[in-house]
Amino acid sequence: MTEPHAASTVATLAAVTLKRFGRGKAPWIAAGLAALPIAYAALRHARAAPLRSDELFALMMLLVAVLPAMFVASSIGEEIEDRTSAYLWSRAIPRWAVVAGKLTALAPAAAALLAVSWYAAMRVAAAPPSLVSCGAIAAASVAASVVAAGIATVVPRHAMVLTICYLLTDNAVGALDFSFAGLSITHQAKLAAQFGDAPSPVGAPLLAMAGVAAVWAAIAVLRIRRLEV
Amino acid sequence: MTGVVVAERCSKWYGHVLGVSEVTWTLGGGIVGLLGPNGAGKSTLIKMMGGLLRPSRGTLRVYGEDPFDSVGVRRRIGYAPEHEATWDELTALELVTAMTRLAGVPAARAAPAAEAALDQMGMTPAMHRRVRGFSKGMRQRTKLATAIAHDPDFLLLDEPLTGVDPIARADIIDRIKQLGAAGKTILVSSHVLYEIEALTSEIVVIYRGQVLAEGNVYEIRALIDRHPHRIRIECDRPRAIAAALAAEDHVARLSFDRGGVIVETRDPDRCYDQLAAAVLAGGVVVTGLSSPDNNLGAVFEYLTGDGGAR
Repeated sequence: MTEPHAASTVATLAAVTLKRFGRGKAPWIAAGLAALPIAYAALRHARAAPLRSDELFALMMLLVAVLPAMFVASSIGEEIEDRTSAYLWSRAIPRWAVVAGKLTALAPAAAALLAVSWYAAMRVAAAPPSLVSCGAIAAASVAASVVAAGIATVVPRHAMVLTICYLLTDNAVGALDFSFAGLSITHQAKLAAQFGDAPSPVGAPLLAMAGVAAVWAAIAVLRIRRLEV
Repeated sequence: MTGVVVAERCSKWYGHVLGVSEVTWTLGGGIVGLLGPNGAGKSTLIKMMGGLLRPSRGTLRVYGEDPFDSVGVRRRIGYAPEHEATWDELTALELVTAMTRLAGVPAARAAPAAEAALDQMGMTPAMHRRVRGFSKGMRQRTKLATAIAHDPDFLLLDEPLTGVDPIARADIIDRIKQLGAAGKTILVSSHVLYEIEALTSEIVVIYRGQVLAEGNVYEIRALIDRHPHRIRIECDRPRAIAAALAAEDHVARLSFDRGGVIVETRDPDRCYDQLAAAVLAGGVVVTGLSSPDNNLGAVFEYLTGDGGAR
């Protein structure tokens, strides 16, 4: 028996997480939610009142508040709350690997679903979106997933609801005309997708999102290292 | 001090609630029963050994290391928790394979090891079924398989017999004994004395967060037997039984209770003999005979002196 390599531990946890996630109801609910912007765009198109891309982007930001929370916060929160984490804590794995494994499995899944939803809705509403805007949505989703992980380690019981509240607040803060709107993931996503007042470089908003995500990642790792079951 | 587990003045609080108090104790090896009523601190102690909890005060070391912080020592531990919650979406084989991988077994060996562990626990026919549909006994066996699949040196089994039917219980007891015979150190917790007696003669008694006694189960029983033993006789004429036994020197106390008489004796064997003689001589119809002291709570009351006058 050897001490498992961190990468293989994370891969094992990610594989198990995906398998469990895939066998639950969440993928179906998520697919239904992701179809909403497409359905809305189609409805507006049928009524000859096509959606503007920035309107649709704002709608997508609401989904960014919901889907990563549904995927990541509930997965980590339930693991801790249901005490199935007892199995994990007693294994020869570093605890941060649990958060990393969950994020490796679920953050790309949420990001891909949101990017596909955005792409399909834009196709229906007007024209195919830019790759940059798809990337901005995916990046916002990944950052939101990390926030969800952080919140789930701090308040596992109500992790999903609290994450949604946090990200809806983030949406509201991002819409304000103050400097601290820069702390908002959704605001930075809007800038990265070139829906700001003026064209801006993509790198700075991505870095800002990475900064917010890094803070929450640090909270998640510090918290999970101290968690007792 | 050497031992698989060495606890020194180890305490654990949950907020203001005391889980374990100032435990100084060494676990050498073999199969050891951790006996105590519900809420005594058994699970807390086991969780500290498994690296799930950190002592609030004092130290607890497993193979010389702190299990909460040391990833390495947790490779040598197999833990089966008390609660039933597990990854229900997976099949038994997927669950045990994943846990085996996470215990450090290389990918190529994890699935065969998981299959072997499930087989050892009699779960081969159900190993491709999802855990969600399992009975309590099947869940217990699956939990035990997750604990043993990576071939740990030290097994922590928290109430492994709770809720399982008598046939499954006997089977699990046999399998745990086999693991002990194979050289594993096994700590099994239970609040049922006869379950522990069926597994091992070495027991540790824990009550209100403290290790009350440890050693051979017969030594513990002898300790218990120094105290008056209660016998409850349900019969049609309890006063006749009481009158026959009242003058005996071993009888400490007699009391009446809902159609029966409770005899407290310092010599249970003599008391049972004289009781049989009194029943025959008086033509008393006995409808029930029990010993409330088989209840573990009464035993702990004796050991802690909470039994009042007894």
